[in-house]
Amino acid sequence: MELQKKLEILSAAAKYDVSCSSSGSNRKNTKGGLGNATSCGICHSWADDGRCISLLKILFSNYCVYDCAYCVNRSSNDVPRAAFTPQEVADLTINFYRRNYIEGLFLSSAVTKNANHTMELLYESIRLLREEYKFNGYIHVKAIPGADLALIEATGKLVDRMSVNIELPSEKGLKLLAPQKEKQAILKPMNFISSKIAEKKDEIKVFKKAPLFVPGGQSTQLIVGATKDHDMNILKLSENLYKKYNLKRVYYSAYVPVSKNPLLPDLKTPPLLREHRLYQADWLLRFYGFSADELLDERNPDFDPQLDPKANWAVNNISLFPVEVNRADYEMLLRVPGIGVRSAKKIIMARKVKSLCFEDLKKLGVVLKRARFFITCKGKYFFNYNMEQLLIRQNLINGWETDEKKQEWEQISILSLIPEKPTLQDKLMSITGEI
Amino acid sequence: MVNYYYDGTFDGLLTSVYESYYGIEPPDKILRCKNLQQSILDKDIDIVTDSEKASKVYEAIHKKISYDALRNVYHAYLSELDEIDTYIYQYLRFGFKKGKSVDLYLTSEEVLKVHSAAKKVRTESHLMLGLLRFRKLNGGLYYAPYSPVYNITALISDHFVRRLSDQFWIIHDTKRNLAAVYNMVECVLTDLPEELQHQSLNTDDCFEDLWKKYFDSICIKDRINPKLQKRNMPARYWKYLVEKQ
Repeated sequence: MELQKKLEILSAAAKYDVSCSSSGSNRKNTKGGLGNATSCGICHSWADDGRCISLLKILFSNYCVYDCAYCVNRSSNDVPRAAFTPQEVADLTINFYRRNYIEGLFLSSAVTKNANHTMELLYESIRLLREEYKFNGYIHVKAIPGADLALIEATGKLVDRMSVNIELPSEKGLKLLAPQKEKQAILKPMNFISSKIAEKKDEIKVFKKAPLFVPGGQSTQLIVGATKDHDMNILKLSENLYKKYNLKRVYYSAYVPVSKNPLLPDLKTPPLLREHRLYQADWLLRFYGFSADELLDERNPDFDPQLDPKANWAVNNISLFPVEVNRADYEMLLRVPGIGVRSAKKIIMARKVKSLCFEDLKKLGVVLKRARFFITCKGKYFFNYNMEQLLIRQNLINGWETDEKKQEWEQISILSLIPEKPTLQDKLMSITGEI
Repeated sequence: MVNYYYDGTFDGLLTSVYESYYGIEPPDKILRCKNLQQSILDKDIDIVTDSEKASKVYEAIHKKISYDALRNVYHAYLSELDEIDTYIYQYLRFGFKKGKSVDLYLTSEEVLKVHSAAKKVRTESHLMLGLLRFRKLNGGLYYAPYSPVYNITALISDHFVRRLSDQFWIIHDTKRNLAAVYNMVECVLTDLPEELQHQSLNTDDCFEDLWKKYFDSICIKDRINPKLQKRNMPARYWKYLVEKQ
């Protein structure tokens, strides 16, 4: 088969894996070698769906022995199949890299024959790149659940990031849609990788030149909307993963209907808003000091589609507000809707030399449209009305300006005090008592 | 009004700052090129670039203000925005008064202007690290034409020296005709000779086709979102993107 055809098939097969970042590693170039990694990561293009392209994201092969209902590559699906050779993967990576199309390689694979065989193929492709081609760019590789741990360790020594996809957030979902897979088999390599990373960190403290092991950390992916799991279950799972396995990222992928199966929900479009809300909440967990329990509970197990999670939290905890911008600590500033990590840091800096007023906040990049309900500046509250939950909620959703235009309460005139003449219908109602 | 005119080099700008302290009259404005419309009320002073004076100012900024301030000034200078030279001058005056705390005055005009210009330059140079496209010419040379909004060639070339250290390449800013040329030993900033400027780019490079195919097939058709794509990758950069041809 032609290389071009293979590339088309195997990149299309990999596109539902949303992970794309090339961050977290600062692997240096070697003498006579090619490439390096930048710890902040670099995006190289954006596809027509608006998602960034940073790595050459391909499957090594899409011949799969599994038959998971949600997956486009399931063995019972009638799609064109192909497999690369390690040489072809290396050629593509090197040549794209030299033209600055990509930051590196994201290599995954369907499980062909068995887990060990697949992992060996992945290892061989990466070994070829690193050792023969002296390639020092970013490599992200999937650890295949069920593969020998020694094989996973050997691969981990060569790559920058490793990931194992959990895909379905609950064991129930797994049993229903992917009966051949087991939760424990997925968590085992994850656990192994995270303990190895921790081990290496200690080693580097002692020997500066200790060999690297997955310096960019590990990540995983959860599918949103293929099972009946609530947002709360998903978010709690991510929280646990961050805490327990020290994951760098959990990715959420809105389920794109790829098959007609009675076990799967009948969606017209992927649940993009839900995915978006989960990412917002994920950021709150990682950078804003929130916990999953604060954002969702048994009574509200799903996110409000109208209001972002942080604003929703603030409205529900209105008793904590307003906070004084000139005095509040960093953690509290972060919890104000409209103030992000960057503007909170700027506020902390700027108020060292000057006490801040509302005009100043605008210059610091605070979104006053949202923040004004929750803050005071030098003791002054900006919003003209009472701090009433419902009113603030409405204003956050609709925006104050638009609300003013279509004001619901009107000017009272003397005429409006005179009751309207009862109509025929009113008279009838007063007789029959029916409304 | 007193206007200083300098030759557009960074040393020239620093010399102007030097003259503002030790020269005859401090300026109201510092400008790069002569205004065609001159007012009789204006007094124009031409600044002769002096690398010794410039390096004195350079050292003074580093020592008396901070390294960050020096970085901000240099990046803001590269933005080539209108009146930015005057703002840089005011920022430095303010900085020599306040010392290293100058960057805390995030709400004062002169600091804000310089910071925002510097940030624009840094944002674009980071974006360009990804969006620059090298075309492989028949001789084996990798040639990357681009036309950035700000003058960032000097900022991005270091990254490629580290990364693509084993190939010959040229990064060419077609708008300013400024090029970074790398010969596997060192990288020089220079203007390209005439005959090299109009390279015929119609190379039949099969990897360009492969890249285009990849670009199409990686997109999820159920999630098409051109607005998001344009927000992340403004259309002004598409001219030199292989996948957008």
